[in-house]
Amino acid sequence: MSRRFRWIPILRSEIALRGLPNPRLWLGSGSRGRAKSYLLILIVCAFIGIGIAFGIGFAPTLSQASPHTQEPTSSSLITGRVYDQQGQPVEGALVTLRDAHQAKPIVQSTTQSDGRYTLSLPELSSSSAGSAGSEIGTSSLVRPLPSALEVHIERAHFEDGDIVLKTADVRDLLAGQSVVLPDVILLRHIGPAFWIATLVLLAVLIFIATGALHNTLAALVGMVVILSVSYLGLAFHKDLFIFDFYGALRYVDWNVVLLVMGMMIVIAVVERTGVFQWLAFMAYRVSGGRTWLLLPILMLVTGIASAFLDNVTTMLLMTPITVQIALALGIDPLALLVPEVMASNVVGVSTLVGTPTNILIGSYGDISFGAFLRNLTPGVALAFIGLTIYSEFAYRRELRAVSTASPLLLEKLAQQARITEPEHLKKAGVVGLGMLILFIFGERLHLPPSVTALLGATALLLWIRLDIEEMIEAVDWTTLVFFIALFVVIGAVQEVGLISMIAGLVRRLVGNHLLLAMLVITWLTAVLSTVIANIPLTAAMLPVIGYLATMVPGAGNNKVLFYCLSIGSGMGGNGSLIGASANMVTAGIAERAGYPITYAHFFRKGFPALLITVALAMLWLLLHFMLLGGPAAG
Amino acid sequence: MSGIVCAIRGGPKSQPTITQAITLAQETGLPLYFLYVVNLDFLSHTSHSRIHTISEEMHHMGEFILLAAQSAAAAQGISAQGVVRHGNVADEIISLCRDLDADYVVLGRPRGRGEESVFGQNLLKRFSQRIEQETQTQIVLAEEVST
Repeated sequence: MSRRFRWIPILRSEIALRGLPNPRLWLGSGSRGRAKSYLLILIVCAFIGIGIAFGIGFAPTLSQASPHTQEPTSSSLITGRVYDQQGQPVEGALVTLRDAHQAKPIVQSTTQSDGRYTLSLPELSSSSAGSAGSEIGTSSLVRPLPSALEVHIERAHFEDGDIVLKTADVRDLLAGQSVVLPDVILLRHIGPAFWIATLVLLAVLIFIATGALHNTLAALVGMVVILSVSYLGLAFHKDLFIFDFYGALRYVDWNVVLLVMGMMIVIAVVERTGVFQWLAFMAYRVSGGRTWLLLPILMLVTGIASAFLDNVTTMLLMTPITVQIALALGIDPLALLVPEVMASNVVGVSTLVGTPTNILIGSYGDISFGAFLRNLTPGVALAFIGLTIYSEFAYRRELRAVSTASPLLLEKLAQQARITEPEHLKKAGVVGLGMLILFIFGERLHLPPSVTALLGATALLLWIRLDIEEMIEAVDWTTLVFFIALFVVIGAVQEVGLISMIAGLVRRLVGNHLLLAMLVITWLTAVLSTVIANIPLTAAMLPVIGYLATMVPGAGNNKVLFYCLSIGSGMGGNGSLIGASANMVTAGIAERAGYPITYAHFFRKGFPALLITVALAMLWLLLHFMLLGGPAAG
Repeated sequence: MSGIVCAIRGGPKSQPTITQAITLAQETGLPLYFLYVVNLDFLSHTSHSRIHTISEEMHHMGEFILLAAQSAAAAQGISAQGVVRHGNVADEIISLCRDLDADYVVLGRPRGRGEESVFGQNLLKRFSQRIEQETQTQIVLAEEVST
């Protein structure tokens, strides 16, 4: 076994701890004769593993469950920290104290999430001759300490690192004193695993962008390829290992998955009440048929709805009724629909639950609902005003070309725009208010948003007594699976070091300039969002932002770079028809009403909107965080 | 039972089809049926779980589009009925033709690239042949306005 891969025994014992079949069967000597058996057992293990993992929900981390981790029971401790080249702590590295001459291990440990390790030495004798021949890490044995000691550090996807202990350190250890070693920086190892994980991510992004595969299927294929390569490839070449199943699960953000699921149930209740249709009709009534007034009211209604519900659902419900209003007034429906969907993309950014990207950002950056409101809503309001003025200008001809409203169509419109389930709406309103209060004040109780969403969803199900089967069917499981699989794919490129590499490049580009970092992140994300689906883009960008937040002066506590990402990924969706799912569903419905929204049309109207809204929101961030000082904490 | 089936989806491109159907109804004296088909295939990539809810909204939108066509017919002295169906457009047109034992089907003939039409030129030809074979209904193609 090469030096780099001595962490594999940890993996073996990790699996053994969880009651899986004897790891020797599948991680053994690599005999070709047993390859078929390995394959079969691997497949069985994968299924059992999936069952166990979903059964336990949250897999403990490698370091938490490692049998090699030593509690500091002895008075002699060796501690230190391990970092990568970007200064980020390295978790899960195997740290071994060993005889410097014979490389025989004495005690082992693994690094924690902060990169810290603690080696608890066995009871020592002061004899300087020989070396320990007993079991590794058995602290009860009295045994001699070698004259020359070194700490050896190894982890998958990194080159090994060594520190030779000084004579004084050895003397201190023998005297029962603890020793703090200097920080170790591990260099990245760019091997086949790196290229495979990178290519898989690129393939997933291309499949999603071109529509060659359903988003969920693309992410699922990516996840399976990564896990298959890790397990099956390991039997052939050790450099093919990316991470194991439990390592993959560590990258799945369950707060995001459960928050999205809870909100889907709440939305499923609200969408059946007819409130959207009623609101749209009221917008028409309030405007008195004046299209210049109708447009901003509809944009505002859509925007506010999008701030609390997902944009796709909002547009699915708003588009048909908007088409009907436009037809009744004799105007081109696109003059209302395109500004509406753009408002949905812009205003959705203002809250934690307004867009899936904000849910991702909030969970990763530990940004609360209230923090989003405080730090983004004024900027979003500014962007919305700019968007409204722009939309009035961009569609001025269509809005002026209003013909006499058809009384027959208006009567039909009034019939259809009624609240169909007023009792459900009242109850949903009460629960929604309670959820809003918990979202805002729950941060004081350290209440995760996912728990609030699940509380609200369950309260609605209990109170309204809806058919549970029907409600569960309303949950978009394909989206949830998409998130899980995507987290694993993004986790793979994090594991092999691609994200660190990108983070390093961005860091070199922006240096220590916070302003430059804000501009680069916002505009880069906004432009990329026009061609790349913003959910995978945001998921991939988050570790980069997390790194920059720790390295760029002034970007740490206030989390300003996360808000830049939120604006870029959310408002960037307006740059093209494929920039956001809400655009696509709006175009789909409009096309079925005989008013297709072409790519060219959307780009012509949407890209200037992107420039205006992102610039205005960016202006707010600059004022808020740089000139006015901004908040101290997110 | 007999009559004229006119499949529409609304918008300016449907106007020549509606006009052609009304003219045909005036000439033949046959009852006119406007058909709108709710097809939600476009949601399969994004919001499959929302199909139930959106289906109802699309049904309302279809009724609305048909009402506009019925108004246009009424203005020409023709009393037309509106039918909303859900599913594949081609299958639903054939199904209604069978149900009504229709004499004519009026369809829009795409011009230009035809990318925004339900049927492209080739597909329309094949579909017309299929209707005639399966229902013995005569096809009338109305020239769509160019984009």
